Amino acid sequence: MKETKTLDARGLLCPMPIVKAGKEIRSLADGEVLKILATDRGAIADFPAWAEDTGNTLLSWHEDPDGTLVFYVKKVEE
Amino acid sequence: MTPAEVRDAVADGAVLLDMRPPRPFAQEHVTGAINFQFNRADLVDRAEMALPKSQAFVVHAEPEPIARVAAQILTEAGYAVGGYLEGGLRAWLAAGLPTEMLPLLDVDEVRDRAAEFRVVDTREGFEFRHGHVPGAELLEWSRAWDRAATVPGDRPIALICGDQVRSAYVASVLQRLGKPALLVFGGMADWLERGYPIEKGK
Amino acid sequence: MIFKQYRFEPLAQASYVLGCARAKEAIVVDPSAELGAEAYVLDAADLGLSIVGVFETHVHADYVSCGRELSEMAGVPLRIHEAARGLVRYDVEPFADGAVFDLGKVRLTAVHTPGHTPESTCYVVTDRARTEEPWFVLTGDTLFVGDVGRPDLLVGDQELDVMDEAARARALWESITARLFTLPDSVEVYPAHYGGSTCGGVNMNGKVSSTIGFEKRFNLAMRQPDAAAFARFVKETAKPFPDNYARIKSYNLGLITREALRGATA
Repeated sequence: MKETKTLDARGLLCPMPIVKAGKEIRSLADGEVLKILATDRGAIADFPAWAEDTGNTLLSWHEDPDGTLVFYVKKVEE
Repeated sequence: MTPAEVRDAVADGAVLLDMRPPRPFAQEHVTGAINFQFNRADLVDRAEMALPKSQAFVVHAEPEPIARVAAQILTEAGYAVGGYLEGGLRAWLAAGLPTEMLPLLDVDEVRDRAAEFRVVDTREGFEFRHGHVPGAELLEWSRAWDRAATVPGDRPIALICGDQVRSAYVASVLQRLGKPALLVFGGMADWLERGYPIEKGK
Repeated sequence: MIFKQYRFEPLAQASYVLGCARAKEAIVVDPSAELGAEAYVLDAADLGLSIVGVFETHVHADYVSCGRELSEMAGVPLRIHEAARGLVRYDVEPFADGAVFDLGKVRLTAVHTPGHTPESTCYVVTDRARTEEPWFVLTGDTLFVGDVGRPDLLVGDQELDVMDEAARARALWESITARLFTLPDSVEVYPAHYGGSTCGGVNMNGKVSSTIGFEKRFNLAMRQPDAAAFARFVKETAKPFPDNYARIKSYNLGLITREALRGATA
């Protein structure tokens, strides 16, 4: 599933990757995918929590060789 | 600013912002300093979530180039930064000025001595609801500046977050108000890694 | 583990930041004045790390080191092998061969590998959170990807030229054979130079890392039959001297000031 938008949240400390993702995803339509790049390891616990809280779907996440965390979130309209 | 100038500014109502990481801050810091870890990527965003622009600040960071950069970044964002402490903690101590420390706890101690502490989680609401230390209360770091005064000081307060950056900030705010604060180093990351029980919701 | 390789491309020079994410501590190896002490300090701060040590693999002749500035700025000692003690004219905290430095679970072990210079040292890195076996080695100018450090960068000064060229070539062969190539084949190699740098010979590879096993098999200089053939090979394949190296080395030894160095290159 190709992402609609990418948010570069590398270098941001928690909870900023989530705060920014929350803002970015507002501009997406239902079903569109936001890709987030992060380096703060708190994001690993935070993104599932945030997805559960907002009703959006965390499709998957992985860690790149250089340590960058990559998250794919699908917007689910309320 | 020299240590004496910083001391005078603080006496006039400025708050010293200690921008070092939590561990060195906990080991020793200028009495009454607030811990707010520096980084370049989102310092302004984080500051705007937690710190009032109506407050006068003086920056302390080490090594010194960080203090200069931090003061500049915050000033450009509209913060009232009077300057930064030249010579850092060493100069402050050489001037005979007071310091204090922030006690550290690890998650094992929080679990073993749970009844002794009021555990306060400083993360966002959704993080707290997703899983927190059983019995913990929520005080989001972004609201701590105004709300810290409402935390009862009858028992030692153990501050916790994802790791220890946000909780160190809140702990320092409480300590400045004279409340018995302790910092849970390792935070929820360690708690979850050890597989300790969590409470959801609320 | 936090591991970052910094590259100053114009001189094909690499420096390193190693840290323990849990202990929130980091050390810097071979910092370059081209990047500047502040750059390393701010990068470490971005990651919430405190710099607890600055290390040199050796006293460099091809680029200006900011080891002194960085150690002073961070308030931590500058570490270099004790063979540099009589050579550098500023305060350092020397260590002996085999010295061990711990950053949380990250362990650095100093392996003295004289040859390129008398004090040249490689740092073997182990991530004890994963295993006690070594993971990679920072080889400075001793071993490069595809090549070896040159033993002929003499400054033409009796006091500074410790060991003659032939002795240094023999020492380099010995160091690599007995101290680096005895590490497990899987150990990764991270040098202080790569590609077009003039600190090694014409065979230096543009790739910025390798492994002990690969270099044992395919490093042309090290495939020579003995130390004498090695010395001849290295001499034949040497590049022109690094630009301004005598003055840069003098500055890095603490013999001339930054102003004097700048004046020379003007």
